[in-house]
Amino acid sequence: MDTILRINNLSAGYGDESVINDISFEVEAGKRVCIVGESGSGKSTLLKAIHGFGGVTKTCGSIETPKDILLGIVPQNPGGSFNPIRTYKAQIMEALKSNNIDFKIDEVEKTLQILGLNDAKRALASRPYELSGGMNQRMAIATTMLLEPGILLCDEVTSALDVKTAGMVVEQLLEINKLKGTTILMVTHHLGIASKMADYIGIMKSGRMLEYGPAKEILENPQNEYTKNLLKAVPRLKVS
Amino acid sequence: MNHKRKKINRIKVIISAGVALLLVLIALFASVIAPNDPYATSASAIRSAPSGEFLFGTDNLGRCVFSRVLYGARTTIAATFILVAISFILGSIIGILSGYYGGILDEIMMRIADIMLAFPQMVVAIAVAGILGGGLSSAMIALGITMWTGFARLARSHTFAIKNCPYVQAAKLAGKSGPAIMMAHILPNIIAPLLTNALTQIGTTMIGISGLSFLGLGVVPPTAEWGSMINESRAYIQIAPWAVLYPAIATIVTIIVFNYLGDCVMEYRDED
Amino acid sequence: MAKQILKRILGLALILLVLSFLVFGIMYLAPGDPAEKRLTSQGVVVTKEILQAERERLGLLRPFIVRYADWLRNVLRGDFGVSFKDDLPVAPKLIKGLKNTCGLALTSLLLALIISFPLGIWSAVKKGKLVDHIVRLFSFIGNSLPNFLISVLLMYLFCIHIKVFPVIADGSIKGLMLPALSLAIPMAGRFTRQVRSELLDQLGEEYVVGMKSRKVKGRFILINNVLRNSLGHILTIIGLQIGTLMGGSVVIENIFRWPGIGKLVMDSITARDYPVIMGFVLIMGTIYVVINLIVDITYRLLDPRSF
Repeated sequence: MDTILRINNLSAGYGDESVINDISFEVEAGKRVCIVGESGSGKSTLLKAIHGFGGVTKTCGSIETPKDILLGIVPQNPGGSFNPIRTYKAQIMEALKSNNIDFKIDEVEKTLQILGLNDAKRALASRPYELSGGMNQRMAIATTMLLEPGILLCDEVTSALDVKTAGMVVEQLLEINKLKGTTILMVTHHLGIASKMADYIGIMKSGRMLEYGPAKEILENPQNEYTKNLLKAVPRLKVS
Repeated sequence: MNHKRKKINRIKVIISAGVALLLVLIALFASVIAPNDPYATSASAIRSAPSGEFLFGTDNLGRCVFSRVLYGARTTIAATFILVAISFILGSIIGILSGYYGGILDEIMMRIADIMLAFPQMVVAIAVAGILGGGLSSAMIALGITMWTGFARLARSHTFAIKNCPYVQAAKLAGKSGPAIMMAHILPNIIAPLLTNALTQIGTTMIGISGLSFLGLGVVPPTAEWGSMINESRAYIQIAPWAVLYPAIATIVTIIVFNYLGDCVMEYRDED
Repeated sequence: MAKQILKRILGLALILLVLSFLVFGIMYLAPGDPAEKRLTSQGVVVTKEILQAERERLGLLRPFIVRYADWLRNVLRGDFGVSFKDDLPVAPKLIKGLKNTCGLALTSLLLALIISFPLGIWSAVKKGKLVDHIVRLFSFIGNSLPNFLISVLLMYLFCIHIKVFPVIADGSIKGLMLPALSLAIPMAGRFTRQVRSELLDQLGEEYVVGMKSRKVKGRFILINNVLRNSLGHILTIIGLQIGTLMGGSVVIENIFRWPGIGKLVMDSITARDYPVIMGFVLIMGTIYVVINLIVDITYRLLDPRSF
């Protein structure tokens, strides 16, 4: 398998202050990776550093990706990442045009349907302020997916959703990964979600990566005390 | 960073307040500073260019433009301050009463304010000043008719916001009377935004008063006032441009100083 | 939506009714006897009998409320009475003046918008840079300049020193330029400040960050989103500025002798020609209120959330 993302000894933060320190890991193309950590662990900073956006600056180390791939990010508050009073259709068209991708209505509707938005026409004609958090979340994932990213970066995409909706979004992300082979890198504070969807899991605390490895190893044979405690506290997420 | 900006803002406020104070002092002591009698005409010195004797030259009646600009400062600045002060006091009283007692009084007062606000200020002012006939006081009444509403609305909304605060409620329970509570507890807490608003009104009011005077609806000649000075001398501007330019510069500088002070104070208060 | 608009229109009608009452009331209380004024302006030697007859003829002896109702009924039919000066109907005079005033006001509004939008946008995008400081300085100064002063200075500069424009506006396009500019400069200063601060507010919104993260082109973000979302607020500010523009045009028309409604009203003030003054206030008030109603409706149309 090809490596699509390689991170070497990365330190990054805001201004001169490092929030994450000395992080190294690799992601293979087509895999699903979850970085788990409590709030303040630096996992979102890591994601922003990889995406190269959000005011995070690299102080040390390197992030390597193939030149021709696009990094798509689904932010924490996806509804807020769209202009609240314009239709999704107009905003998706703009995003695609900016990235030199043709707007093909069939393609768009298909992507929306994968994400459970069966009435795609109506979803496209609606404005972010009219939709629920879960709907906005899916529209955001769909829009990012339409940009044909090499890696899909997801920042706590389930944290604002109720358990049922969160489960559905996870399922849909798995579906996307299966159908399109898109690499997914997701940060979450929810180990249950990671156990459901990840091929690889990384555990972060206080800006450092405590453990990183195949999901099975981390879940069944954790080396780190912190990870063990986390595992004990996992509420079982029901995914049908 | 933020601290530094705040410090810079404070320095800006102090400097612009200092300059504004200087202008006020010049206006107050116009009679001491002025080298000549602003009303003394001189047939021998008609429209003479600026010189040692007449710093800003003379107008077409041979009056000293410098002295007239100084006396004009007194007229313009005094009229502005008095008008703003009256609007401020009346508007605040109405606003606080409306906000504190609410009910039918509030309803009536705010409807009146709405109606006043529904019409362009200068149009109303021109018509009212025109009907009342010239004179500085009628110009002030004409502008004041609409001006108090701004203060009233501001005072009302701030009073509304604090009237249910514990300390106001406590004073009420202690048996203090309405007026006493308004004076002792409400006014001190809402005076800052009201004063800031008063400050920002000075520039606009000055433009209004000198504009009406310029139209001949303000001060009656020969009283020195910048707007009417400019209006009188613009007819012979090609022969004696100084008679227009100096009062013009005085007007511009004064308005800019007070507007700048208003902006700075607003910015300073926003930082909090 | 329709219900809300209907409610606003009813409120507006009420406000206009109050305005008409105030206008009439003030004229009623105004110093000076219209009958006497009228007779003297026609060169009649005023005696007590003639004066009383004239009052009778003008209907000045009827009770206030009857006179008001009568006047209002005529006004609603477009009849603003006859001028005290020459006995000619006031309405055609007002309409003729209004046409000229609209020409001047629209030109200056357009000028102000053309100046202020690019400057405001530029300075918001380059916040904190040199351009921003320069634009802010100029818009601050423009905002502080009384329009009568600008017109006097412009006249001095262009008519006397450079001799490009005529001193008295003769109704030609060239004659329109200086008065329009005098009105436009302070307005442009105000608009630039407002456009800038409105855009800065929008640029700080979360969606801008989201769009940048999707690599949406800056041009799309600025024009289709930031500017589009600010439009409602900017429009409201423009609507409120129309009032200042109306007052300003009275001053400017008199300086440049532009034959607008402002020139007409100042001439009528000198002559105490009350019907013209009343018509002026009523027309200006109505236009202002109607414009702001339209602005309000447009604002709601621009922001679907406001329903």
